[in-house]
Amino acid sequence: MKSRKSRIKKSKSMIVFQCMACTLLTLGAVICVVPFLLILSGSLSDNAAILREGYSLLPRSFSLAAYETIFKAPEEILQAYKMTIFYTVVGTCVGLAMITLTSFVISRKEFKYRNQVSFLIYFTTLFGGGLIPWYLMYTNVLNMKGTTFPIWFPGVMSPFLVVLMRTFITDSVPDAITESAKLDGAGQFTIFYRIVLPVLGPGLATVGLFLALGYWNDWYRSSLFSTSQKTWELQFYLSNMLNMSASLKQMAQSANIPVADMPTQAVKLAMAVVVTGPVLLFYPFVQRFFVSGITVGAVKG
Amino acid sequence: MKMKMLKKKLLCLAIAAVMTASNAGCGKGPSAADAMDDSQSQPAVKDSEEKDQQENTGSDQAWEPEELDTSERVDFIIYELGDAPADLDLVEEKINEILLEKVNATLEFQFSTWTDWQNKYNMQLTTGGVDLIYTANWAEYGKLASSGAFVPLDNLLDKVSPGVRELLGEDVLNQCRVGGELYTIPCNYMEYTCNGILYREDLRKKYDLPVPDSLENMEAYLAGIKEKEPDQPLLTEVAAQVLNFKYPWVTFAGLPYGLSINHDTPVQIDDYWFSDDFVDDMKLMKKWADMGFWSRSILGNDNESQDGAFENGLAVMYVSGYNPSKAMSVKETLAKSHPDWEAEFIAFGQTNGVIYPANMQTNGTAIAKDCKNPERAMKVVELLLTDPELNALVMYGVEGVHYELDEKGVYHNLSERFTYEGMNTWNFRNKEIMLSSESSVELNKLFGEYEEMGAKMKYPNTDIFGGFTGDTSEVVTEDGAVANVLQEYLGPLQAGMVDDVDAAIKQLRDKLTEAGVETCRENFKKQWLKYCEEYGYQ
Repeated sequence: MKSRKSRIKKSKSMIVFQCMACTLLTLGAVICVVPFLLILSGSLSDNAAILREGYSLLPRSFSLAAYETIFKAPEEILQAYKMTIFYTVVGTCVGLAMITLTSFVISRKEFKYRNQVSFLIYFTTLFGGGLIPWYLMYTNVLNMKGTTFPIWFPGVMSPFLVVLMRTFITDSVPDAITESAKLDGAGQFTIFYRIVLPVLGPGLATVGLFLALGYWNDWYRSSLFSTSQKTWELQFYLSNMLNMSASLKQMAQSANIPVADMPTQAVKLAMAVVVTGPVLLFYPFVQRFFVSGITVGAVKG
Repeated sequence: MKMKMLKKKLLCLAIAAVMTASNAGCGKGPSAADAMDDSQSQPAVKDSEEKDQQENTGSDQAWEPEELDTSERVDFIIYELGDAPADLDLVEEKINEILLEKVNATLEFQFSTWTDWQNKYNMQLTTGGVDLIYTANWAEYGKLASSGAFVPLDNLLDKVSPGVRELLGEDVLNQCRVGGELYTIPCNYMEYTCNGILYREDLRKKYDLPVPDSLENMEAYLAGIKEKEPDQPLLTEVAAQVLNFKYPWVTFAGLPYGLSINHDTPVQIDDYWFSDDFVDDMKLMKKWADMGFWSRSILGNDNESQDGAFENGLAVMYVSGYNPSKAMSVKETLAKSHPDWEAEFIAFGQTNGVIYPANMQTNGTAIAKDCKNPERAMKVVELLLTDPELNALVMYGVEGVHYELDEKGVYHNLSERFTYEGMNTWNFRNKEIMLSSESSVELNKLFGEYEEMGAKMKYPNTDIFGGFTGDTSEVVTEDGAVANVLQEYLGPLQAGMVDDVDAAIKQLRDKLTEAGVETCRENFKKQWLKYCEEYGYQ
């Protein structure tokens, strides 16, 4: 009896909570979705109509002209796609391996200097060398300018993800289990491979998604280290297109610079759709891991 | 139990939000890296060369170019702004064939792209990654030169390329001097980047309106169209720029902080914002706004919304940001999209009599201080600028692949993969061997007219303002405060969006004084007068 009563009582507050949550989340979803719809409909509109009447949620005068412009000479964008996929896959794989192994090591109690090492990793979130030393390191010391290495390598480790992963490992693998494995004669690598790794699913998905998104969205490293368009990341291709029209316009006032055909508003929007598309498709599959990964890994930490 | 779960859920939401935010924020931050010394600079080589140069100056022999030691191959990197053409490799290869044969050197073109270019440009010079670099006053040439980023060129010019000095002339070189030293080799081409208005000539003819070449005529023109075609939007921007028809100021928008100077008397600095002229002008703007020349929501417009307004018939006039070559490209666009429309360009200088080509600092080539071999680099610059074959390659690509010449010798593009001046090498423009394109024929005709007009001035055809780079580092606070006041109070005034012009002007002046405009002005005047003295403008 008692328990049923209390259940009813609580479900009342539950109803209030759910109503509030639903309203808030719906609002949030609308705020997220509407801009994207605007982009989508803008990209499907006739450019002159955008200029005349502004943006709308549904395309005013439907036209595929923007997409035709983009895919008229698709080599460049396809090359950028190829490179971004390459950076994302390589960077995420290498990054996952390094982050998991590092986190495993600093989560082990037997490792005497784990606090010091953790501190060193954590320290870099607060203090960095700054842009110019970082740039010098890759260009003058490693002589890597123009190669693909400085574009994917700097992103493989992030202290935040290491800490996340370490918390995840300490939480999901009780000491007792690893200890008994040790008593049964397992070495460190066996413990990692047979005992820790199998329960790391959500953690790997979370960290992997963070890494992959980071790579997919990055443009800055291409901007710094690419010497040829062949190594450009996709987002840099997009952002450079926008920046080009902005700075050419600004500069054409003070210098006679031929202003070639600028991308129209519709083309810019279509580009945005083309580069975000794959991420949207990718998200639903990883999302369920993503939520549990974050909560398991972080709340208790 | 449930409450606890609720709390936990909320907590999770909050944490998820924080994490998403932090993930978004840390996208571009550089990761930690150790500071390393630049191990690749070669001070020893440079020192000995500088000694050589010093020994040679002054003697008559300095004018005789010495035989350049080309026994060792040198690979140079040149840094250009903007995007690389698709056929960069092909053209680079052809250029290097010739360069290897002539001076045993190669040249690799690197491009900044337009993303974050100012930062990257400065970084190239800081980290010593390049040998040759494009310079421009809008890329802070003066500031970089005085901070020692480039190799001084006077001695090198005498020693390696006396021909270039003759070609460009001492007047032009003087415009590029910073603190008495030359740091860049300007291009050999005068370009008029004078601002003006672009208007619909066909509408003017149709309704027999005056040519809008002065404030009165402009009012009559716009009012005429408004009367005949009430639905036609007139302007998508505030027309304050056209006050340039009235004032022959040195720069098209006047000096900073509301100061003004006549081109003939650069050292006499006048005050515009606190003058009666300013009141009259703002009243005129109010009158125009009330006549409905621009929409009442104009202050909310961003730059983007102005893009293509004229070309799409949403405006009958562009009043700011247009110069001859930009106007020309709009005309070309219109000829395709609206053949029945007609656009004409009028430079403000045609009315106010002050017209001059862009300062020669606009396009130049400098040798970076970490250059591997400044002498050979100088020779490479000379060849690219003056050798017809190399110059054509660098500017237009490969003949027969990227362009062809018609019987009149006019350039016609053949390939999108390398367009006219496709490598953005504006620094190697040379009027002696330049190929004219369809649009540049008309442009050069205009330039000829301007040159004639500009020759009548006290400093004929000289951009006395363009070589000046103001330094506001001493008055950062005041400068920022003044900029804020301008945005808040001058904007609405110029747009005519105030009820009482006199009261609004009084408010603007009070706020400006409060923000410390006097301090800014003093700081500016001091630097300006010093600049005038250095370049001999009186």
